[in-house]
Amino acid sequence: MMDALTYFLSQFVNGVKLGSVYAMVAIGYSMVYGILRLINFAHGDIMTVGVYTILVLTTAFGMPLWVTVIISVIIAVFVGLSAERFAYRPLRSAGEETTLVSSLAVSIFLQNLLVMIFSPQRKAFLLSEQLTELHSFGTIRLSTMNIITFITVIIVLLILSHMIKNTRIGMAMRACSDNMNAAKLMGINITSVIVTAFIIGSALAALSGLMLAGEYKTIDPLMGFVPGLKAFCAAVLGGIGSLSGAVLGGFVLGIAEMLFAGLMPTEFTAYRDAFVFALLILVLLIRPNGILGTKDGGRS
Amino acid sequence: MKRIRKLLVIFMVFALVFSLAGCGGGGNEGEGEADTINVGALFNLTGGQASLDQPSFNGFKLAADEINANGGINGKMIKVVSYDGKTEQTTVANNAKKMIDVDKCVVVAGLSDSNYALAAGNICQEKGIPFITSGATLPTLPDQVGDFAFLAPFGDNVQAYATADFAIDDLGLKKCYLLTDQSMEFTKTLAHFFKERYLEKGGEIVLEDSYMNKDPDFSAQIDRFLADKGGAEIIFISGVPDDAGVVVKQFRDKGVDLPIISGDGFDTPLLIEVAGEAANDVYVGTHASLENQDPMVVEFIEAYTEAYGNPPENAFAGLGYDTMYLIADALSRASDPTDPIAIRDAIGETVGLKGVTGTVTYENGSHVPTKSVTINKVEDGKFVFIKEVFL
Repeated sequence: MMDALTYFLSQFVNGVKLGSVYAMVAIGYSMVYGILRLINFAHGDIMTVGVYTILVLTTAFGMPLWVTVIISVIIAVFVGLSAERFAYRPLRSAGEETTLVSSLAVSIFLQNLLVMIFSPQRKAFLLSEQLTELHSFGTIRLSTMNIITFITVIIVLLILSHMIKNTRIGMAMRACSDNMNAAKLMGINITSVIVTAFIIGSALAALSGLMLAGEYKTIDPLMGFVPGLKAFCAAVLGGIGSLSGAVLGGFVLGIAEMLFAGLMPTEFTAYRDAFVFALLILVLLIRPNGILGTKDGGRS
Repeated sequence: MKRIRKLLVIFMVFALVFSLAGCGGGGNEGEGEADTINVGALFNLTGGQASLDQPSFNGFKLAADEINANGGINGKMIKVVSYDGKTEQTTVANNAKKMIDVDKCVVVAGLSDSNYALAAGNICQEKGIPFITSGATLPTLPDQVGDFAFLAPFGDNVQAYATADFAIDDLGLKKCYLLTDQSMEFTKTLAHFFKERYLEKGGEIVLEDSYMNKDPDFSAQIDRFLADKGGAEIIFISGVPDDAGVVVKQFRDKGVDLPIISGDGFDTPLLIEVAGEAANDVYVGTHASLENQDPMVVEFIEAYTEAYGNPPENAFAGLGYDTMYLIADALSRASDPTDPIAIRDAIGETVGLKGVTGTVTYENGSHVPTKSVTINKVEDGKFVFIKEVFL
């Protein structure tokens, strides 16, 4: 029998666990959105491509996980860059709505491509025993993978924040985010900035895919869409364009979901998604630019 | 203004996505030749239902091939027309329309979940074509749809009663934690009937909780259960195949080793594949067992293995097989095997038709057959036959 505090704590930890996966996906989303103001619907599907790469390489070729992760990052980056080159770049001057629709097309294209190659059947995705091994902390049990995910999110956030604040490319990114035309006039190579954002975003997509699939334990070609949507919400909630905002949004979303499911009467448990999206609307009514969003929300 | 326009675009995009979901298809070209009888096989060969529907479709085709090899029905060959329903209700409904309007099918069958069977059944009813669901177990389906709809398997009430009886009478476990997927007609009905019977027999539901299909994370529910187990001795999970392995695995990972019991939604290879050792001590109430030594079952398993390279994945293969024979039986008895009303009447008059999943008789005008329920248990990564329950 657990007392109320331990119970609350265990639900909170469940939320952090789920939230760190959302946060990981959301950083990648935010990376691209922050610069291009492009809601990249294909982000979730690039994640799925990464997951399938890992599955194929481990099951068919028996490669160790770390090798497959590197290859899956490379393939995800390749897919992300191809999408940028062929679906987004030609439309860059056409406006945000057009690229939004274009990204949706990329998303559907990738989903169907995966269906054609791998069959649409759900497949088991099982990590090695070292990664799924459970560690007990009092009444709380976490797998090695949960811990790795949480730490990775924090490290990635720190590295990227540092990069954006202090490096040359980071400054160029901020400049593009503020005003792309002005940045261009100042001699910044816009294309290389965007390409960098897509490289980082896609690489993070592949990593978050591994984390997501490790939690779900099953994968299918359409698995990326809904988590992509939730990560988008996390990014909006936290303040879109802001990396710390994306991470914060991810955690808030995950924790809110779990606390709702854990604390409301059981009749409502199943409706946690509805609750989370209602919360999103509420937060945006009070803070239209998200929790950490800046006042003008970027380029006008 | 710009913001409003952008939001509008986003909504349009969603509208587009959901309407796109309805398109698609592809498959057989329909041609109404005089010496064939076209039978529509509606299955979700992709998506969440595929692990039930694909074996079922395999069984269905196998039976059709056997019937044709034995001379067909009064000299006419059966032609199976099929399109992938993609686990989408709109696609399933469109496929049903296409089978009837374009391919001129005289009878349509298939599907393993009530949501999809309702979608297809209503179309068939509207067009006056008999519809037999091979695997959906909603007992009220014929009442909801109309006089052209039939169930080939037992109803949910039967499988729920049988699992409740088994938990109390055979396992002697009288305190149950009930976890229900709220997103499906099937899972809600199953939980409802299980609870009804379990309470009736003196059992106690100590805690009830719910989730939505495709929520990958059950930790909130499991922790709530751990906080207040109420002395639960068994867990009934009313779920569908996609979630079977994941939910069981998460319970075991959190240290819950109570026996888990469920209905035919858990009769999927994914349960064992995903949960691995954690699947041990899971009981599944379903339609058949591969260990059944009945010569008909043994022959079916041999034929299936030869045709598809592996033994039947689950009982749904048997249901698909039996459904085709049920249709063939009705077609051979119908006064006019091209007249949907004559076929409907012939199906309704089916008596004592033995299949691999039990014997089908439609009694007293009911369109739901009375069949036995098989209880299987997972032991060392395999479904093991435990008991056949007759109500």
